[in-house]
Amino acid sequence: MRERFLTGYNDFVLPFMIGMVFILSYCIIALIRIIAQLPKEDRRRFFVSLVTPKTLVKNIKDIFCDCLLHVKIWKRNKLLGYMHSSIAFGWFMLIIVGHIEVLLYTPHRAKLFYYPIFFRYFVAETESTMKGAVLFFLMDFFLLVVLSGIVLAIVKRIRSRMFGMRRTTNPSFLDLVGLYSLWSIFPLRLLAEGFTADISGGSFLTKSLNYVFTSFLSDHANMLPSWWAYSCALGIFFCVLPFTRYMHIPSEILLIPLRNAGIRIRHARKGLAKAEVYSCPSCGLCIDACPMGVQKANIKDTTVYLNRQIRRNNETRIEEISDKCLLCGKCTAICPVGVEGDKLRIAQRSIRKYGINPDYSSISTGPLTRDSRGKVLYYSGCMTALTPSIRKAMESVLKKAGVEYELMDKDGGICCGRPMWMAGRFDQAKQMVEKNTEIIKGSGAGTLLLTCPICYKIFKERYRLDGIRVVHHTEFIDSLISEGRLKVRRDTNKYVYHDPCELGRGSGIYEQPRNVLLRAGTLVEAAKNRKESICCGGSVGSLTLGFDKRKALTENSLNNLTVASPDIIVTACPLCLNTFSRYADRKVEDIAETIDRNTSN
Amino acid sequence: MKDNIVIVGGGIAGMEAARQLLRMGLNPIIVEKSDHLGGHVARWHRLFPDMTPASELVGGLIEATGQANIFLNTEISFMNRLKDSYNIMLSNGVSVIAKVVLITTGFSVFDASKKEEYGYGVYDQVMTNSDLEQWFNNGNDSRIDGTEINAVGFVHCVGSRDEKARNSQCSKVCCITAVKQAIEMKQKFPDAAVYCFYMDLRMFGKKYEDFYISAQRDYGIRFIRGRVSEVSENIDGRVIVKAEDTLAGKPVKVTLDLLVLMSGMVCNRDCSSIAGMISLQTDSDGFFKSRDNISDIICSSREGIYYAGACTGPKTVPETLAEARSAALEIFSYINRA
Amino acid sequence: MGNIFGFSISPSSTVNLDNVDFTLFDRLHELEPDAWKCMSCGSCGATCPAGNFSGMSLRKVLHNLQRGKEKEAVKMLQNCMLCGKCSIVCPRGINTRHLILSICKLYKED
Repeated sequence: MRERFLTGYNDFVLPFMIGMVFILSYCIIALIRIIAQLPKEDRRRFFVSLVTPKTLVKNIKDIFCDCLLHVKIWKRNKLLGYMHSSIAFGWFMLIIVGHIEVLLYTPHRAKLFYYPIFFRYFVAETESTMKGAVLFFLMDFFLLVVLSGIVLAIVKRIRSRMFGMRRTTNPSFLDLVGLYSLWSIFPLRLLAEGFTADISGGSFLTKSLNYVFTSFLSDHANMLPSWWAYSCALGIFFCVLPFTRYMHIPSEILLIPLRNAGIRIRHARKGLAKAEVYSCPSCGLCIDACPMGVQKANIKDTTVYLNRQIRRNNETRIEEISDKCLLCGKCTAICPVGVEGDKLRIAQRSIRKYGINPDYSSISTGPLTRDSRGKVLYYSGCMTALTPSIRKAMESVLKKAGVEYELMDKDGGICCGRPMWMAGRFDQAKQMVEKNTEIIKGSGAGTLLLTCPICYKIFKERYRLDGIRVVHHTEFIDSLISEGRLKVRRDTNKYVYHDPCELGRGSGIYEQPRNVLLRAGTLVEAAKNRKESICCGGSVGSLTLGFDKRKALTENSLNNLTVASPDIIVTACPLCLNTFSRYADRKVEDIAETIDRNTSN
Repeated sequence: MKDNIVIVGGGIAGMEAARQLLRMGLNPIIVEKSDHLGGHVARWHRLFPDMTPASELVGGLIEATGQANIFLNTEISFMNRLKDSYNIMLSNGVSVIAKVVLITTGFSVFDASKKEEYGYGVYDQVMTNSDLEQWFNNGNDSRIDGTEINAVGFVHCVGSRDEKARNSQCSKVCCITAVKQAIEMKQKFPDAAVYCFYMDLRMFGKKYEDFYISAQRDYGIRFIRGRVSEVSENIDGRVIVKAEDTLAGKPVKVTLDLLVLMSGMVCNRDCSSIAGMISLQTDSDGFFKSRDNISDIICSSREGIYYAGACTGPKTVPETLAEARSAALEIFSYINRA
Repeated sequence: MGNIFGFSISPSSTVNLDNVDFTLFDRLHELEPDAWKCMSCGSCGATCPAGNFSGMSLRKVLHNLQRGKEKEAVKMLQNCMLCGKCSIVCPRGINTRHLILSICKLYKED
């Protein structure tokens, strides 16, 4: 290899350089700002995590798997996964191999930013270049990989269903600019390198293209314009990148270590929230996942649009989108980059100003406290009061198993605080948490039993009940069975289990209820289950979705549950039970009822 | 015969219409899906406001329709429209070409267990208005027989005027039925306290208000304006009812030995299947849609199809009978015109 | 009657609808169209967990607002726990939680 130009420079590198300098400085400033926005203890935590070997390894592994290989998308759809990883990983390898070439052949140019990118323009092949054939081959190979990804991306624009996506996002204008410039980068590179291949050398792709070109375009004058075009495409892409969805590429590299450091969203727009919003690649997977998607009117209220509106500071839409959401958490569960749609929305709700601020300090907890030393304290919660079948069945199961228990809220109690928390009114929720903590600690109970997943989630996450075991009844029944305290009979019914949002995605309890049901009868699965189960539509998470708007959601969820034609739909949440029974064409019951029916004293 | 008249439903509407048609010299066919005539009224004990035994009315109608062709335990399996008549296939294998179809499919009683918070089917001491009438009829119900009845409560509007129960309509008769049953319970258990929990009392019919006044003055029924929202069970099996006394603006709580839920009238499930066969319209409440709610309540949007009684919405017994008669008259003139 | 310093000397117990200012309530109605839908059945008040401690009843809150008695309404609403039981029992299908939050947004404590 020898250099063709003494200067090692041509004007066509300018667009690329401008773009590159712009994007680098933008990212560095953004990085500093986000880190500065973190609360002090979070920032410390972040820096500590960066030097802790365990998280460091995890960071590198996650960045490699998520940003380059897109493992999560592979799991969802092979074609979609290939499309993403071919572009990301292929491009990454082009950059790496390009740098190796520079280091090998023209090490004195290594300090020039643009040199690896436009390497082929600046060098000419010599006889001794044959040892570079492997590198040349690799360059062409990865270029082909990227090009195949681009072809798939173009096909996806037209036929998204092939990629397992029913609906995709509507790109904004700048997104389109970014998209078209990204699409054109690699074909232009192929063109430029193709024109140059007889001078600089190449491999199966560029060399062959060069033969085709020389057969009718023998003039080398075509070379420069194509290098210009290639550089311009890169320049445009880098310049619009911060204002398009492609910002997710640099943001995700920050989001992964932030997440691995265990940092939570503390502010609606700053710090982690900002990193998440910018990490959204607008892929639109959350559109299909959203249970509200059954109604077309709700499509623009999905997480991808929330992120877009937050980036645009469109307060009216941000409020609409965050208030409508059911907070079922499905978008969070399936998001390939880890945007927490539900928590992000709660954070948006938390910055509202209210003229009326509830206060519960006047409630005296003394009369509500029952002596429960050595017993299980059963807090049935607000919703269970409206589904007496659950409480009655649960009490009966407890008696059959010989569990000594006390009811915490027989004559009324204080709400667990989770609905208030979901509305973003943390101070009020915390007050309720404190009051209930007083009651529970005062009772002396060792175990707190809950039949409502809404309560369960906040009791697990926000209560400091040191030493007191907090259990949901699905877990409790499961442990009673495995301890041999309950003998369950099998019946001939076919059951399907609905994973309530707050219990499954919210608290990670999937197996215990299934273990229990497997002993009671035949268990079939819903089309979408566990992590992808569909919200019943009754959620207290949504603030603005009125009763009449929820029917379609419930019916959709029921259709999903009944694909395997079960006899009975079993759930473990009073709110799901209440919602489903309204529209179901078959029996809906709580898991406690199933077990109560299938056990005897 | 080409001028067949098929009456779908052998309740009081169907029978009354058949009786009138027979008088006019026509010979209708009654198709009844259950094993007896008289529908819901046949299972009732006494009718408001004069406490007439329901059996008198139903018995009279059965006697008067003896000559009609009656198919019991039979449903419409299939019906389609011919040029100016209807081809009907019955579940017993008989097929009929009918000039006129009179739909008198009536209503269904709301399934009270769907209002989970009231605990019907969960708590021992909760029953419905139909259960209570059954007890009046045969005196056999463990919820009443085995217990000492000191306090009874009636909950109005169970499954009526309730969007959550998917029925926003008023069932019309429950207010007066509750008053009637409250009086009857007071007669059986003179020392018991009897409560009626209501949202609004709709005493629109003849002598209803008198009945209401008598319930207050002569029987001391305690009316509380507030809808029951929660029912729980005591350790001794009695039920505790929670409501808001909206007139006092205070929550009320009362322990009862028996709670009676006034299940409302909801559309019959057959409504949508029959409507589907010959593309009839149903209303948002699920009942059949009349051509006009004022002047043409018994007419459908299709030639030769008529309605009578509660298949177009909740009706009282006299209203149903009046509609049946007017439908018969309409059918008579339709057949003679053709 | 003498209306000195904003207090009338002998306050009449009559709710004078001619003098009630509905501006805020109209805005509430815009935010939540269900604001006028209540038929005062009392289900919400009976089921309310906060009602146990304070006599809170959404029916009363709404009723007070509709009669211009904002003070009483605001005071009562300060007990709400937003648990959502009222929205489950409401026979009119009123979106009570949104209604409550909208009131909290529009009206002010003293």
